[in-house]
Amino acid sequence: MKEKDGISDCPEQQVILYVEKEDGKYEAIQTGSYISANYLDDYFLKRANLEKALGEKIGRGEINAIEYYMILEDLTLSELAARAGMMKWIVRRHLKPGNFSKISESAIKKYSVVFNITADEILKRQSGKRN
Amino acid sequence: MKVENYQHKMAAHCESGSITSLLNHSGMKITEPMVFGISSGIFFGYFHKMKSFAFPTFIVRNKPGQMRKNLSRRTGVKFYTRDFKNPGAGQEALDMLISKGIPAATQVDMFYLDYVPSWERVHINVHFLVAIGKEGDVYKVSDSYFPDPVDLPVESMNKGRFAQGSMSPKGFLFYPEYVPQSFDYEKAIRRGIKKACFNMLSIPIPFLGIKGIRLFAKKITEWPAMARDTEHLSHEVMKINILLEDQGTGGAGFRFMYATFLQQASDIINKPELKDLAKELMEIGDGWREFSLFAAKIGKNRDLGAEKFKQMSDFLYQRAEKEEDFFKRLSKTIN
Repeated sequence: MKEKDGISDCPEQQVILYVEKEDGKYEAIQTGSYISANYLDDYFLKRANLEKALGEKIGRGEINAIEYYMILEDLTLSELAARAGMMKWIVRRHLKPGNFSKISESAIKKYSVVFNITADEILKRQSGKRN
Repeated sequence: MKVENYQHKMAAHCESGSITSLLNHSGMKITEPMVFGISSGIFFGYFHKMKSFAFPTFIVRNKPGQMRKNLSRRTGVKFYTRDFKNPGAGQEALDMLISKGIPAATQVDMFYLDYVPSWERVHINVHFLVAIGKEGDVYKVSDSYFPDPVDLPVESMNKGRFAQGSMSPKGFLFYPEYVPQSFDYEKAIRRGIKKACFNMLSIPIPFLGIKGIRLFAKKITEWPAMARDTEHLSHEVMKINILLEDQGTGGAGFRFMYATFLQQASDIINKPELKDLAKELMEIGDGWREFSLFAAKIGKNRDLGAEKFKQMSDFLYQRAEKEEDFFKRLSKTIN
């Protein structure tokens, strides 16, 4: 890739690319991320739509707050179980919408660590008080 | 407390960048492409269904940790490595190294790094950064993906170092404890290239190497049926661009960085044919970049009909053919 073809304007996300300089030498340049420079607005649009759609599913009782964050963070059931330090069958049970109220405080705490939020945020998400 | 005279430098990739910076700090003059090439970093693997991934994905580099191990075997550099069961012990060990003025790389889940923008914060347990200082409850960190050293609260560092899940870091840290005055560059380069050719051409596993690119070409047409909806499919298709260009590859899924290695290696071992092969790989990389820009564009436009997936599949079959031919000739050149 020629140097001029690698340049993107994105101060928020810089990357290193290896490109061909004018003298034919391949060297590193620091430039902006191509996808963030051109498509970041699309990422935020899709993220907002997903959050809204999942929030509505909680409202209809189709999923609960644990599944909401699991989907948002691209985690599988196995991965969530491993990260939270729980057996898969327990997590599977927790993911059933009607079982949310039966999840223990300590389990909610474990999930909150994985999702890097507070236990309170999970509870508020479930009750629909958090937008 | 801080590590004196540590030169922070951005790099294409976190692992090769951390290793390069640590070796430069220890007095070894070596470039990131040379570290990447000697350690046989270039690779391909496609994972259609795995318990730890919510959607099919692919990798374009060798297994995390292999770069350090391969480089050590081929150059004689000895790395101190350690992981921990207890987060307290892990923090204590890292703090001890900083207090002694020793910069150490540590493995983290990128999701917990506060300084990373929200759109980049995903659960990846194999990100590497170098701890170069600590004031109160905040580490000073050299992360290859950022132009300057950044601050990271101790709590976030510990969450990242001791995240659970697949390839959990377990607080893993490493630093070079012995760096030879010199090593046999020619031998190291040849061994690095031979292993890279083996990895791309001969691993008898159907989803790795060139076979992996072909499997990707075959399976990508199944993606629409696996997505939740159009926006999910758009997100996954655009991630192709992120994995090839953005997530620390130096562009075109490490192909540009490996071409740079071959060009540098050609001068060091006086083998002009490698320069021609470097040029060829740069062109193969241009094809990968064309593929990734195409993916980003159709994802953004939600232009995700079956014919577009067929086009992507054809792109990938072409890359497989080109790379198979390339690595066969590279292998012959170096033998």
